[in-house]
Amino acid sequence: MPLNKDSLANTFLIATLLCLGCGVLVSAAAVLLKPLQSANALNDRRVNILKVSGFSDEDIAEAGGVNELFEGRFKTTIIDLETGKVAVEECEAALNEAGKVVDEVVKNFDQIWCSKSKKGPVADKLDKKQDIAGIKYREKFSHVFTLTSSDGKIEKYVFPVRGYGLWSMMQGYMAVEPDLKTVAGLTFYEQGETPGLGGEIMNPRWKAKWEGKKIFDGNQVALKVSKGDQSEKPYGVDALSGATITSNGVTNMVKFWMGDNGFGPYIAQQKSGDSASSSDANQSEKDVDPKTASTTGDAIHRPAKSGINHG
Amino acid sequence: MAKSSKDLVLDPVFNNNPIALQVLGICSALAVTTKLSTSLTMSIAVIAVTACSGAAIAAIRDRIPNSIRIIVQMAIIASLVILVDQILKAFYFSLSKELAVFVGLIITNCIVMGRAEGFAMKNSVGDSFLDGIGNGLGYGLILMVVGFFRELFGSGKLFGFDVMPLQSEGGWYEPNGLMLLSPSAFFIIGIFIWVLRSFKPEQVEAE
Repeated sequence: MPLNKDSLANTFLIATLLCLGCGVLVSAAAVLLKPLQSANALNDRRVNILKVSGFSDEDIAEAGGVNELFEGRFKTTIIDLETGKVAVEECEAALNEAGKVVDEVVKNFDQIWCSKSKKGPVADKLDKKQDIAGIKYREKFSHVFTLTSSDGKIEKYVFPVRGYGLWSMMQGYMAVEPDLKTVAGLTFYEQGETPGLGGEIMNPRWKAKWEGKKIFDGNQVALKVSKGDQSEKPYGVDALSGATITSNGVTNMVKFWMGDNGFGPYIAQQKSGDSASSSDANQSEKDVDPKTASTTGDAIHRPAKSGINHG
Repeated sequence: MAKSSKDLVLDPVFNNNPIALQVLGICSALAVTTKLSTSLTMSIAVIAVTACSGAAIAAIRDRIPNSIRIIVQMAIIASLVILVDQILKAFYFSLSKELAVFVGLIITNCIVMGRAEGFAMKNSVGDSFLDGIGNGLGYGLILMVVGFFRELFGSGKLFGFDVMPLQSEGGWYEPNGLMLLSPSAFFIIGIFIWVLRSFKPEQVEAE
């Protein structure tokens, strides 16, 4: 052996070689497997969107797969959260400005990335009072998924929502009936709450309690998670025992995303039925259910200025 | 010292089981054993990591400086664990979601470190590889036994298939909720050790 194995030189040599070797191994695996992993993650999110809209495993199997069912029944679009209008091209331009080139932007748009990037063109910093969901930066654009029947009628809206619980960012989807007042379902695809306590937000029995609950009382978001039997109450969902902070996190998440800084403007647009002006990317919006369109009276009053600190 | 390959693999399963005799690696045995499918994935992951890290460490054992040997072992083990995690995420996404953080925690599994430091630093590549497989199997055996009882009595299923139909779904079996909580794994491991030591009294610690 040329070097004494306990010498300083050998120690450095081994440490360097080992780091290089391990580094190459790990990064090669990460890079090579990335496309497969992204496809899996997309698939998983789509499964959650399907499930929250009431499709079962059998429905998925019958349609020949997740992507077939999703692409056949759902319309995906991107909206500007501040105006509530469809904004696919604006979103693409903003992403380019932020230095992220995305092809097939409607499909591959990643709003969590926007929020994490903290970049001016794609995200706004929230001040403490506004940031009830604990997301720090709110993306300017968001996905909206609409379950659309063959004659173009919207049967369900699915909104991506997220909020901070006790330990983790809880990421999920909220499905809303076409009246834009009633919850059709709530699901989470990623969370790291305490298993058995806060982790029960994943429990199908708890998730089922959200169905049919009313979101708005007048113009205010009234739906929340509260203690005690809430099964008869229109604006309440039974809290999780031993998981107060997670329960509050879910309440705040709903309050934020259904409110003026979340999808409030979009919901107001949809209710007043004048949304089809900005882009033709989402034809479905032209065929708003007449019943929905007539509920203009309850439209949420959006403050003239959204109050978000730009930049 | 030199053992036959068969002994290297089979000894840690019954005679020198890492969980039952050495009482190592308990933490993950509690966490991932509510279902057989996750127990099996975790076992395979640990077998792969223990075997490959043992072989890798044995291959460079003559060059590893004493002062940084633990760090070198950790780096090799950690890289392999990340590799396993990435592969699971790419090919078995739903399983990797259920195992979540516990795959990453294989790094801290005492069995892997223990075999690296206790065996692979002194033995040949082939022997270390077999020893890793054996200890992984020993760990896996306990996980499968615990997973079997917890899934069967906790949710009336085995590998997700209904064995005892639950009352809530119109069957007759009232599931035992305790089985889904971590303490039940302690009880099952305890009973397993008791049974094993009744058959092999030489494993009982001297008083």
